[in-house]
Amino acid sequence: MSTVFSVLYIYLDSIAFLLLSSLGLIIILGMMGITNMAHGEFMMLGAYTCALATHAGCPLFLSIVLAMVAVGLLGMIMESVIIRRLYGNLLQSLVATWGLSLILSQGMLILMGPSLPSIPMPLGGVMLGGRSYAIYRMLLPLIGVVVVVGLGLILFRTSFGMKARATMQNPEISRAMGVNTKLIYLLVFGLGCGLTGLAGALYAPTTVLGPLYGANFLAPAFVTVVVSGGANVILGALMASVILGVVEGSFSYAFGAVIGRLSLLIATMLLIRFFPDGLSGWLVKRGGGR
Amino acid sequence: MKRGIIVMVALAAAFLYSLSSQAADPIKIGILESRSGNFALHSAPKYMAAQLAVKEINDKGGVIGRPLELVAPDPQSDNRRFQELTRMLIQRDKVDVLFGGFASAEREAIRPIIDQYKMLYFYNTQYEGGVADKYTFCTGPVPEQQIDPVIKYCIEKFGPRMYILAADYNFGQLSAKWTHVMAEKYGGEVVGEEFIPLATSQFASTLERVQSANPDFLVMYITGDNHASFYPQAQAAGLKIPYATSINVAQGYEHRRFPAPTLSGMHIGVHYVEELNTPANEDFVKRFRAMFPDVAYIGEQTENTYVGIYLYALAVEKAGTTDIPKVIEALESGLQFDAPEGSVTLDPATHHLVRDIRIVVVDDNHDLHFPATYEQLKPDWLSSEKGVDLTKKPEFVQYEP
Amino acid sequence: MIRRFLRELNGPQSLGSRGLFWSSFGLCVVVMVLLPAFVSEYEVGNFTYFLTNIFLALGLSMMWGLGNILSFGQMAFFGLAGYSYGVIAANLAPVTDNTFLACILAVLVTMAGAALLGYFLFFGRVSGVYVSIITLVTTLIFETFMAQTAGPKWAIGKALLGGYNGMVGIPSLQFRWGNELIEFFDVPLYYLVIALLLVTYLALRWLANSRYGNALVATGSNPVRTEMLGYDIRLVQLEVFTLAGGLAGLSGVLYVSWGHYITPSTMGLTTAALPVVWVAFGGRKSLLATMVAAIGLQYFAQYLSMTGSQHALVIQGALLMLVVMFVPEGVIPPVGRAIGRWWRRGTKEGDPS
Repeated sequence: MSTVFSVLYIYLDSIAFLLLSSLGLIIILGMMGITNMAHGEFMMLGAYTCALATHAGCPLFLSIVLAMVAVGLLGMIMESVIIRRLYGNLLQSLVATWGLSLILSQGMLILMGPSLPSIPMPLGGVMLGGRSYAIYRMLLPLIGVVVVVGLGLILFRTSFGMKARATMQNPEISRAMGVNTKLIYLLVFGLGCGLTGLAGALYAPTTVLGPLYGANFLAPAFVTVVVSGGANVILGALMASVILGVVEGSFSYAFGAVIGRLSLLIATMLLIRFFPDGLSGWLVKRGGGR
Repeated sequence: MKRGIIVMVALAAAFLYSLSSQAADPIKIGILESRSGNFALHSAPKYMAAQLAVKEINDKGGVIGRPLELVAPDPQSDNRRFQELTRMLIQRDKVDVLFGGFASAEREAIRPIIDQYKMLYFYNTQYEGGVADKYTFCTGPVPEQQIDPVIKYCIEKFGPRMYILAADYNFGQLSAKWTHVMAEKYGGEVVGEEFIPLATSQFASTLERVQSANPDFLVMYITGDNHASFYPQAQAAGLKIPYATSINVAQGYEHRRFPAPTLSGMHIGVHYVEELNTPANEDFVKRFRAMFPDVAYIGEQTENTYVGIYLYALAVEKAGTTDIPKVIEALESGLQFDAPEGSVTLDPATHHLVRDIRIVVVDDNHDLHFPATYEQLKPDWLSSEKGVDLTKKPEFVQYEP
Repeated sequence: MIRRFLRELNGPQSLGSRGLFWSSFGLCVVVMVLLPAFVSEYEVGNFTYFLTNIFLALGLSMMWGLGNILSFGQMAFFGLAGYSYGVIAANLAPVTDNTFLACILAVLVTMAGAALLGYFLFFGRVSGVYVSIITLVTTLIFETFMAQTAGPKWAIGKALLGGYNGMVGIPSLQFRWGNELIEFFDVPLYYLVIALLLVTYLALRWLANSRYGNALVATGSNPVRTEMLGYDIRLVQLEVFTLAGGLAGLSGVLYVSWGHYITPSTMGLTTAALPVVWVAFGGRKSLLATMVAAIGLQYFAQYLSMTGSQHALVIQGALLMLVVMFVPEGVIPPVGRAIGRWWRRGTKEGDPS
C-alpha cells in the first residue's frame, strides 16, 4: 500500500512540476509563436515577488497571487516595448528574449545580490504508511489541475478566449471581424507571463532563491511544450506532462536522478520523431481535441 | 665647489628617485574570481578577501619594499573564459602570481596553462584533494582532513549506518569514495548512495529512497543552489536524520539563507566558518566587514584566499624576490602563518596546509556550535599513499583514491 | 581565368561581389598573414582562439541564413569533436606522433553524429522552431552525460573523460617529418587556422552560389513549393546540417588543440546560444558578416570581462536585443551596403565618362 502511494506521489510530483512550469510557455510559444528564452527569468521574477512580499509580512497565498499579477503586468509592458516587434518570427524572438534573459538575471544579481532568504515551506508534513510527505508538495498537483481547468474555462468558455484563439490562428481575419488584435496579443502575453510568474511563486518555497532560479525550469518546460504542441494547449499540456512525468518519475525512482533526467530528454526525442506537431497537433489532425 | 655640491645632490636625488621608482614597482597578483554567473555567490567574497589582504599588507609598507597590486578581470563562471584570462594575465599583464578559481573545473582549466608557462598559482577552495603540482599551492582543506573527522564523530554519536547523497561530478564522486574508505576505517556501513546531476533541484524520489533505507545519518556532498533545495524539501517532508558534510554551510552559508530549523542537525568537518569564536577571527571579521559592509557571508574559501595572499607575501619577503623558482623554494620551507582560523603551516611535500579542523554543528535556531577540534591535521594522503614529495620530484597531476 | 573563378564565387547568396570587395578581401588576408610580425605572441594566441570559433559560426550561417534551420546543436558537435579528438589523439599520439589523423577522424565522427541526429529530425519532418528546441535538448543531454563521466571507469584506452572537471592534457596538432616532430601551437597554429579559414570561406561561398545553394535557399523560404519542383528537401536539409556539424567539429578540434582542454560546460545553455548570437548579430544571410561579427563580439565580450564590470552580461544582452529589434537583418549588411554606395558615388564623381 505504502509503495503504491509513494510511486503515485512521485508520478504526481513530476507531472505537476512539468505542467506548472510549462503552462505559461505553452501559451507564449505554443499559441503566440514567441520562443521565450526568458521564461526562466519570468519565473524568477515571480519567485522574487512572492518572497519579498512574504518577508514583508504578506501571507504566502496572497503573495503568490500578487506574484502572478505583477509578472503578468510586467509581461504586458515587455510585450508593448519589445515582443510586439517579433511576432511571426520564432527565431528572431529567440535571440531577443535570450538577450532579455541575460539582462534580467544579471540585473537581478546586481540589484539584489546573489541570493534571497528563502521562504519556509508551509503546512508541514504528514505520515503515511511509515513515510513522511510534505503537504504543500502534495497540493501542487491539485493546484496544477485547478489552474489548467481555469485556463480552459478562460480560453474555451469566454468571449476573450474565443477572440484570443481566433487571433492567434489568423490575425488578419480576426481584425477584419472587428477584433482589436493588438489588445488581444497584449492580454494573451500578459496571461502567459502571469502563469509563468505563478509557477515561479508556487515553487519558491521548495528551493533556494537566486538570480538563476529559473534556469532549472527552462529545459523541462521547453521539452513539455515541444511534446505538447500548440494546437490545443490544454489537452497538449496535460498529455505531455502526464507522459513525460510518468517516464521521468519511473526512471528516476528506479535508477536515480541522472537516468531520470536523461530519460526525459530521450523520450522527448522519440515522441517528436513520431509526432512532429506535438501530441495536440496529432489529436487535432485526427479530428479530436478542439 | 658650490656648483659641484648641487650637481652631487641632483645626481643623488636622481639616483634615489630612480631607486624609489623601481622599488615602488608593484608586485602584480592576478586573481580570477567570478562576479557574475553561477558561482558569483561563492567567488565574489574571495576577491574581497584578496583586496583586504592586499590593503593590509600595503598599509604596512608592502613586500620587499614594493606594494601589491591586484589585476582582477571577471571570468563570469565560464571555464573557457578562465582559460582566455589566465593566458592574458600571464602573457600580457605579466603577473607575478595567479590566484583564483572556485569550482574544480575552473582550477583544471587554469592549471595546464600555469604549468605550460611555469607560473605560480594558488587555489583557495576546499576540494576533492589529490592535486600534486609543483606550481600549484592549495590553501583549502582536503578529504583526509575533513571527511575523516566528521565521519568518525557521526558514527560515534549516531550509529554506523550512513546514506550518501553526492553531486554527480568529480567532487561528489571522489568524496563518496573517500567516505567508503572512512566508513570501513571506523566500522561504519554505507546503506545507500545516490549521485545527483548538477541541474536537479527537485528531490521527491530521492527523499523516498532515503526514507526507505532509514540510515543513522546522511552524508551530504551536494553543491550549488539547485542542490541546496534538498534541505527545505527534506525539512517539509519531516525528515529527521542528522547530516554530515564537508562542504555545506561553510561555503554557501545555507544556515543564513534558509529559515531555521531547515539545517538543524548538520555536522560539518571544516577549518573555518565566519562564526568561529576565537579572538583572531572576531578581529578578522570586524576588519573584513569594515571594508565590505555588504558581504553576505565570509566562507571558508574567502578565508583561504586571505591566507593565500599572506603566505605569498611571506614567501616573497623570505625569498627577497618575486622570481618564481625562488618563491616556490621559500614556500616549500615550512612557512607558518597565524591565520584567522589559527595557526597554519604549509606542508612542503604536498603544497597543502596543516591546520586545525572543527566539527561544526547547526542547532534548531541555526546557531553554530563547536563540540570538537582536531588539532593540526596533516594533508598527508598524497605523501603517505602516493609517495608524493614535490620538493624532490616535481609532478603536475591530480591523483584519485 | 580569375574572372571565371570569381564568377563561380559570386552570386545572389553573397554580400560583396565587386572589385572593391575582393581587393579589400585580399588586403585583409595580407594583413592577417603579416600580423604575427607586428603584435605580441599573446595577441596572436588570443586571435587564434577567436578564429577557431569561426568555422562553427560559418556552418550555422549556411544552415540558418540560407536553409532557415536554426540549430543549437553546433556546440554539441563542437564538444563531440573536441572529446573525440582528445580520445583518439591520446591513444594515437604515443604510437605515431601524428594527430592529424585524429583530427580527420574526429571531424568524421562528428559528421556521422550530425547525420544521425539530422536523419531523425528531417526525415521525421520536424520543422521550424522544433528543430531548434530538439537540438538544444540534445546539447543539454550531452552535457549532462559528460558531466558525470568522472573517474577511471570512464576511460577510453589511455584517455580519461574527466567528468565535469573536463578532459585535460589533450595533445597539440602534430606530425613527424623525418626525425623532426612538428607541433602546431602559437604562430604555426595561427597560420594553419587562417589557411583553413580561407579555404573554408571560399568553398562555402562557392557552395552557397551553386545549384545546391539555390536549392537550399528555396527549401528555406518555401519548402512545399521546393518539394513540388522535385527536390528532396529532407535530403537538402540533412546535407547542410551534416556539413554544419562537420564545421563545428573542425572548430572543436582546433579549440582543444589550442587549449589542450575541454569541459562539458562547453555545451551548456549559455554557450550553446553563443554561435546563434554571433550569426544573428552579424547578419545570418552573409558568411562574411558572420565572420566579422563573431570576431568582433568575441573581442567585445572579452573586453567586458577584462574590465571586471558586473554590467558585462547586461550590456551584451541589451546589445543583442536592440539589434534584433531594430536591425533584424544584422548589423554588417547595411554597413557593407553603405560602404558600397559611398564608393560607387566616389568613383562616379571622379570618373568623367
